Amino acid sequence: MSVWGLYRSALAGQWRGGLVLLACSVLESAPAFLSGRLVELAVDEGFAADRPGTGLRWLAVFGLVAVIGAVGSRLVWNQLGKVVEPLRDALVSAVVRGVLHDPSPPRNQPDASGVARITQHVEVVRDATAGLLVQARGMVVTTVAALAGLFTVAGSLALIVAIPVVVSVLVFACLLPSLARRQRALALADERTAEVAGASLSGMRDVVACGAEPLAALELYDAIDIQAKAAVRVARSGAARAVVIAAGGFVPLLVALLVAPRMVADGVLTAGAALGALVYLATTMQPALRGLAATASTVVLRLIVALRRLAETAEAEPEPDGTAEPEGTALYVRDLTFSWGAAAEPVVRGLDLHLRRGERLAVVGPSGIGKSTLAGLLTGMLEPQAGRVLLGGAPVREVPSALRHRMVALIPQEAYVFAGSVRDNVGLFAHSATDGELRAAVAAVGAEPLVTRLGGLDGEIGHGTLSAGEAQLIALARVFASDAGVVVLDEATSHLDPPAEARAERAFAERGGILIVIAHRLTSALRADRVLVMDGKETALGTHLELMDRSTRYAQLMHAWAPRLPQPGAQFFQRAPE
Amino acid sequence: MAGSADRLLVAVTGLDRPRLIALVLSALAGTAAGLLLPGALAAAVDAVVAGRPSLPEVSWLLTLGVTEILVGLIGGILSARMTSSVTAWLRRRLADHYLALGTRSKFADGDAISRLTGDCTGAGLVASVVVQLGSTTLISGGSVVLLAVMDWRLALVFLGSIPFALMLARTHLKSTADDVLTYQRVSGELAARMVDAVAGLRTIAASGTADREAERVLLPLPKLSLAGRGMWRTQARMVWRSGLLLPAVELAVLAAAGFGVLEGRLSVGQVLAALGYVALGMGLVTQIPLLTTLSRARSCAHRIIEVLRSPVPEPGTLGVVPGRGTLELRGVTIEGALRDVDLVVQGGRFTVVVGRSGAGKSALVNVLGGLLQPEEGTAVLDGRPLEKLRPYELRAVIGFAFERPALLGATIGDAVGYGSWAGEAAVRAACQSAQVDDLIVRLPNGYRTPLSETPLSGGEAQRIGLARAIAHAPRVLILDDATASLDTVTEAAVEDAIERTLPGRTRLVVTHRAATAARADAVVWLEDGRVRAVGTHEALWRNPAYQAVFTGSLEGAT
Repeated sequence: MSVWGLYRSALAGQWRGGLVLLACSVLESAPAFLSGRLVELAVDEGFAADRPGTGLRWLAVFGLVAVIGAVGSRLVWNQLGKVVEPLRDALVSAVVRGVLHDPSPPRNQPDASGVARITQHVEVVRDATAGLLVQARGMVVTTVAALAGLFTVAGSLALIVAIPVVVSVLVFACLLPSLARRQRALALADERTAEVAGASLSGMRDVVACGAEPLAALELYDAIDIQAKAAVRVARSGAARAVVIAAGGFVPLLVALLVAPRMVADGVLTAGAALGALVYLATTMQPALRGLAATASTVVLRLIVALRRLAETAEAEPEPDGTAEPEGTALYVRDLTFSWGAAAEPVVRGLDLHLRRGERLAVVGPSGIGKSTLAGLLTGMLEPQAGRVLLGGAPVREVPSALRHRMVALIPQEAYVFAGSVRDNVGLFAHSATDGELRAAVAAVGAEPLVTRLGGLDGEIGHGTLSAGEAQLIALARVFASDAGVVVLDEATSHLDPPAEARAERAFAERGGILIVIAHRLTSALRADRVLVMDGKETALGTHLELMDRSTRYAQLMHAWAPRLPQPGAQFFQRAPE
Repeated sequence: MAGSADRLLVAVTGLDRPRLIALVLSALAGTAAGLLLPGALAAAVDAVVAGRPSLPEVSWLLTLGVTEILVGLIGGILSARMTSSVTAWLRRRLADHYLALGTRSKFADGDAISRLTGDCTGAGLVASVVVQLGSTTLISGGSVVLLAVMDWRLALVFLGSIPFALMLARTHLKSTADDVLTYQRVSGELAARMVDAVAGLRTIAASGTADREAERVLLPLPKLSLAGRGMWRTQARMVWRSGLLLPAVELAVLAAAGFGVLEGRLSVGQVLAALGYVALGMGLVTQIPLLTTLSRARSCAHRIIEVLRSPVPEPGTLGVVPGRGTLELRGVTIEGALRDVDLVVQGGRFTVVVGRSGAGKSALVNVLGGLLQPEEGTAVLDGRPLEKLRPYELRAVIGFAFERPALLGATIGDAVGYGSWAGEAAVRAACQSAQVDDLIVRLPNGYRTPLSETPLSGGEAQRIGLARAIAHAPRVLILDDATASLDTVTEAAVEDAIERTLPGRTRLVVTHRAATAARADAVVWLEDGRVRAVGTHEALWRNPAYQAVFTGSLEGAT
């Protein structure tokens, strides 16, 4: 999504609030527009003309106008929460959805610093938008109102003084791009700091174990110093540009003071009008211009940089949904080929596979060979280059996604557990399940002691309080409780000990449906009806006994795992007792 | 705690004294120029109104104006410099403290990072905010004096409004701080939920539940919105009141000045000057957002202090004595993991730790390797308690590899050599031992491939983590399930390579595999946080309960 697209869509719901804001601005600008004029009238017609009553009357009008302006200000600030907070809500929502909608998330560790960064960017956009709405908007309104007021008081003078104002604003605008570059460098340095901090803080165990605290400190120091220097560079060019604007506010005043005496002497300008003009220039426009420079140079640029970063994480276009209707849950794979790039060696080449209800397949092979990729293909998360995966006779990626996700469940190695009750966690895929059913699922996968310890289904799970194995138990119970007919365990039991793993696998086998186990341990192969060996070069499919005969790689794996067993060919291995 | 947060802010402000003095001086010069400007303007205006040439007055005004602009420029740069150096200083201290806390830190990752990034920035602003507040105060005070010099009545009228201004400022500070704290807390909760969800991205993608999980993450959002709106409402109340106060004071002074003109005490130009002084005098009120920044700096300092206050035990001062790498536990207890464990791990031998999930295997090896400090009892290396050893010496003799290593460093090569003195050749050799060299040399830039551009599977990361431990060439090598994702053929190859390249080292390996246990010199069998038995795999295998640890076929047989 484009930068402005994101900002616009986040602001889109706020147009009503924006209009109200504009209306409030008109109120707010009333004092700026009338201040000089009223002071002129009060002095000229009142106090200087020995008519204090008239002077006081004009001052009363001044007071009334000020009240109107203050009401405007209050409305503006009240309105601000109604515009800025929904904007922040919309941005946070867009970003969270964008991150969570990633169709093929990387297998790397979750990036805590990335999350912190996103949070920061959202806050920057919030503050910057508020700053723009309050200050920049206010300053523009005031400057324009003051210039307009000046026209009403001394039109001939206004033309002369408007020139330096416009010139300085233009120069300022031209200098903005280089400031933007420095601001961008600062944003990158900020991110780098968060990134380095994130890496060493979340990897603290490893830092300590490697005795690398000094190294980690050095890296952090580097990032921190670079960030500090970038901040100073931004401030320097920001300050230089502020001078341009300050001059733009001051020069008109000087010009007016130099030119006005002659105009007064020539009778072009009355003394009161000259005073009014100077009131506009000195007390209204000059401060407004300075404020404008201060906000524009920092706020706008921070806003742009933060938005650009946020836009990268915001939601991608959803894939169109299919309409195929599967019959049953049988899984056919025909001539399936997939590789990660055009030039890369295929991960899967010409695979044929047919799984019926109640069947149990184990996939074994060295790590990094593409077993998870196969899981992605079978569950329709990845699109193969050639061949088909049919779920109940329908191409799996053309089955409507809601239905597909209900029929097929994948449990990855890194289990997902969120802060909340055990019930919410276990019942995530089974909303209509009763507590009894959830408890049965918990018991079936062997998570009962854990759940009891947590305080039953009502027990609360905190952020990151479960160990990896415990989290896997919760994830297993969750899928067990769902009505998925095809279950893929992608090393989903890797953090359990062998007995716990065996129990969980057995539970899923007894549950019915198709079970595919991407094996973490070879015992899984012994328990399966059929085994798929993936080895980069060959993929072999068969029962354990067939493969002991046919696949040297499989036999090698088995013998390395249990060296005391006889050589391939001797039909020794039995199905593991259950 | 609030007091110590303020003390921290005072301390950081005084860090760079020369620059602080320069900043204060420039602020003073700016203040002086600012105070003199209205008077100069009045003189110039009087000349204009009288229709006489205004050059001398305008020149004086020009001098003051240029001074103010230049001083503003210098002050702006100085305060940015101070802010960034204070922020950097705080960040370095925080980083140091996090690193000193090491694995004892009780701060969640996301929270710790936000303290290092966000809170240090907030607290770093303190010097510039205080100077700004100070100069605003000076200008306010000075303008009252100058007003009095011009006409004491004007000053009196003006001063009547000061109590209101002070009252407004006080109520504001308190109510904003509450909202700011709530806002920060809810923000942190949201971030923690997001970290949870990001950890489960594959589950979410596979189950198509992104929308629902997004809802879950966003659950605290209304609370955040509420706190945010509260902050704006407080501001609105403030602005409304101060927005009225300023013109009211202006009016009062203008009326008084008007009578001054009437009675001939004041010139027309001085009316303008009076207006200028009123604006300057009320600066204190219009600068009220600065108080928000200051209160934010204080709450940030509070969060920084929380970290700095976490106690760090004194590092040991003894050296490691020469030895074979014999490890020992004496009466070690760790809440929820180990119960009164006594154990000797023979130096130079291959020892395996087995047990069911939750038996306390990781805790045991972490205590033995000094990553975890026991609540009771001591861990001893070659006769010396670990906590008495100098940390860097301890780390040099004990190497760790983990089931899920966090890989650090810019490139793959850096990640392997992380924390050790291993050069390129040693890194390569370690990778060959860990059976990961083949994989690395096929990456686009080999060992120089950036880590961030290389998605690694669990098994690949594990082997790089192994290589890292091997590159340290330690006296004791602890593998905490560090070959769990390797197939058994690769695992055996790794073991052979370690034996070849690091002969005679103590090896302590947590495993779930019977084959690994069978190759070990001794097996430590853990159950429920206690050592159930120590012996060879062969001897222990006679016990069905021991077999059940591996096979699962005799589940529950104890």
